[in-house]
Amino acid sequence: MTRRARLWVLAAGLLGTAALFAAACLRMPPFGGTWHPYGDRAVAAAIAQRTANTVSSVNFDQRALDTLGEESILFAAVLGTVVLLRRTPDERRVAPQPASVPPALRRYAITVLPLALLIGLYVVAHGQLSPGGGFQGGVVVATALHLLYIGVDHRALERVRPVGLYELADGVGEGAYVVLGAAGLLAGSAYLANTLPHGTFNTLASGGTVPLLNAAVGMEVASAVVVLLARFLAQALEIVDEKTVDEKEEKEKE
Amino acid sequence: MREALDDTLVAASLLLVAAAATAAALTRDPARQAVVLSLLALALALALLFTVLQAPDVALSQLAVGSAVTPLMILLTVRRVRRRRRRE
Amino acid sequence: MDRLLPLIVAVPLLGAAVLVGAGRRMPRLAAETVACACAAASTALACAALARATTVVSWAGGWRPRHGVSGGIVLVGDRIGLGLAALASVLVLAVLAYSWRYFEEPPRGHSGAFPALVLLFQAGMCGFALTGDLFDAFVFFELMGVCGYALTGYHVEESRPVQGALAFGFVNSLGSYATLMGIALLYARTGELGMAAIGRQLDAAPERDALVAAAFVLVMTGLLVKAAAVPFHFWLPDAHAVAPTPVCLVLSGVMVETGVYGVARVHTTVFGGPGGIPAAGTRRVLVVLGVVSAVTGAVMCWQQRHIKRLLAFSTVGHTGLFLVGVGLLTDEGLSGTCLYVLGHAGAKAALFACTGILLARLGSVDEHELHGRGRDIRGIGLLFALGGLALAGLPPFGTGLGKAVVEEGSAWLPALFGLVSALTGGAALRVAARVFLGTGERGREEEPETAGGEEEPETAGGEEEPETGRRIRLAPPPMVSVAVALLAGALAVGTVPALAEATYAASSAFLDHAGYAATVLGGRAGGGQPGHAAAAHGGAWWTWTGAALGLLSAALAVVLAAAAVVGLVPSRGWSAPLRRLHSGHIGDYVAWTTAGIGLLSLLTLW
Repeated sequence: MTRRARLWVLAAGLLGTAALFAAACLRMPPFGGTWHPYGDRAVAAAIAQRTANTVSSVNFDQRALDTLGEESILFAAVLGTVVLLRRTPDERRVAPQPASVPPALRRYAITVLPLALLIGLYVVAHGQLSPGGGFQGGVVVATALHLLYIGVDHRALERVRPVGLYELADGVGEGAYVVLGAAGLLAGSAYLANTLPHGTFNTLASGGTVPLLNAAVGMEVASAVVVLLARFLAQALEIVDEKTVDEKEEKEKE
Repeated sequence: MREALDDTLVAASLLLVAAAATAAALTRDPARQAVVLSLLALALALALLFTVLQAPDVALSQLAVGSAVTPLMILLTVRRVRRRRRRE
Repeated sequence: MDRLLPLIVAVPLLGAAVLVGAGRRMPRLAAETVACACAAASTALACAALARATTVVSWAGGWRPRHGVSGGIVLVGDRIGLGLAALASVLVLAVLAYSWRYFEEPPRGHSGAFPALVLLFQAGMCGFALTGDLFDAFVFFELMGVCGYALTGYHVEESRPVQGALAFGFVNSLGSYATLMGIALLYARTGELGMAAIGRQLDAAPERDALVAAAFVLVMTGLLVKAAAVPFHFWLPDAHAVAPTPVCLVLSGVMVETGVYGVARVHTTVFGGPGGIPAAGTRRVLVVLGVVSAVTGAVMCWQQRHIKRLLAFSTVGHTGLFLVGVGLLTDEGLSGTCLYVLGHAGAKAALFACTGILLARLGSVDEHELHGRGRDIRGIGLLFALGGLALAGLPPFGTGLGKAVVEEGSAWLPALFGLVSALTGGAALRVAARVFLGTGERGREEEPETAGGEEEPETAGGEEEPETGRRIRLAPPPMVSVAVALLAGALAVGTVPALAEATYAASSAFLDHAGYAATVLGGRAGGGQPGHAAAAHGGAWWTWTGAALGLLSAALAVVLAAAAVVGLVPSRGWSAPLRRLHSGHIGDYVAWTTAGIGLLSLLTLW
């Protein structure tokens, strides 16, 4: 198609879609109303399960199967990235050059790193009580580790990041969720049933399986993001085509 | 009074998101798009919107992913692609 | 069994977790064994659930409905959902067996990566087939998509697989966004996410307004993208032509069909009642899109010389027929489609399996380049020809039975089904005759058409690399036996009366909007016992007319193939405009997808 024809087709389609969607939105219940059948049910159930953060109760208890699927999507996406960004036979690995970092940036990164790590772990551990949980905390933990790359350099990051170990943790996190679900079956209830004692409302030890599932997801997400960024870093810094290396060597010879 | 304030806040954050997203779409340089817009404008505007709509869980995810992981991935991709292009 | 139903999804997930976690330390043999064991366990569970007389309803987490409402997620193992899960699992097993040591070298340090992705793919398809919750269906739909994109782009050394995966990812993601928006609209109206619950709420206060119509269009868009209905189909040939051949078995054999299943499931459970979309509207949407897809797919299929691309277009054509069959909204239409899907999965997967052997042995999938070079593997040629005849609807293949049963629905159907079957089957037979018998002239190297200035030269398939790393001399026994087993399966579908009878009963239960809600939310035993409905109806079985029409379309396919080989029927050139639309330009595909949403709205609201 010519560019013009493509734009016409696109415009017609977008116009139709927008008209349909706008007409539908006009028929929606008004914003900020008081009728929330699902929300009311979810809050009642969350309180009955002694989970202070209703969102966590929905994610890890009432609709825990969705979260298994979502965790698996991230798991599959990272695995897919590992496969797609692998080093192919016509590529070679070179050691990246050490980079010089302004001292101020270095000081900042080294100071913030433990703080960010702690916040991440806190967010994972308090998922059943306050906003956050395995997904959010896991990403924060993974991001915190990468402050080393920003503050020092890639080699410093590599020292604290044996990718193999994180891949193991990735698998363990995903597997732990599946197995925790099966524990519900072994306890005589349904798959992913919250069979543990519910504990005291609004304390760390509450919510039954919710904190455990949060921990599993936190582990999976943190290591998955580390593995994911490791592939991107390797592609950007280390992996070069054979041709480039040959050219460089030739130049050095000259 | 409170409702009026709430509505104003929601409307303001929606406008902010729309403006940031439009600016992100109009920026042609991918590196700038990643850093300036994802990091500063769009990610924060979305996080603000979710907070105003009383969804702090979602806001936290948005902040963690949108302002750190996504821009880093885009920047690394741009770097890899540019390196290859320079060679050709 | 009720409680064990989620394990059909969980076991492959656990397998994938083990393969990734232990990937670096695991020898390849162990990794492939673990993968096969998990896929087989899941298959066995699905079959065990199928053997039960009633629908299996399993509330995850034990969140059973109280007073008819629940905040939890339900898995519903009715006959058709379980049947699809079982089909997907069997094909995944076939893929794992077929690719046993198929790839020369797995990614360094990741011997389990390919099987792990395949297992995740299986979990996605089984979850999608079994869930009775609209949002959960979306989640598993995405899981299926992510694995599909990664598997399609597996050969990153070349640019075309990456391009194909990108087109696949772009168009499917667009469809997913549409589906998510539709789910949000339904949630805003009903405050529910379960399919049965949404349907019940819509029926409680029937308002057939713009919101319901928009939700229908948007939810259907994502499913139709997966089902590759025209004009959402552009990604499919690009992706299937470049994906590793073992992956094509699953992509063409069952993943595309899950889209059709989703359309049927969502229509009956959510929109099938008085508060949904009138049956006439749904029928119009599905039949119109189905006919257009069927004709487009068949015509494009006939024109291809890249064998994998040819088979991919035949999938577009056949999926169009499935949409027509489902769109009739009758018991016969649906049960015929189910049989057709089963038969097609066997035949199409077998054809891809044979193509994989060709690629591994001769290093090409170009019909012209391979001319006569398959003479020494006539056995494979025989399998390929049988697959082609099965596509053409030859009795007693399952495809023929399904086609015959659906065709009884209306007087114009035999013409459409016959044409599509003959063209797609004929194209496969033409390939078989040229490659394995060496009949006809060796195709002239025609100048690639360049029209419009931006068109890529035609995809020929000569530059494909053998995926096995080096060329093989003898086809390894697993590859051949998988192809034979798949064809035998396609044959069994058309020759076992009990299967057809059970399918018919399952179909009438499937289409029962109120019955589904009562089973899921009210705990009523359901599932359509084979015997009641089927005995009254006599089941859906071969009739003399059906068999004769099947023979006719198969004969027509042979005639077409013969005529093409001797040069009487031009295989290309007469439909350049249609071919030019399949440009490979992702921007075009995106434009067509949005236009498709507009088209869907027009057809729905007419």
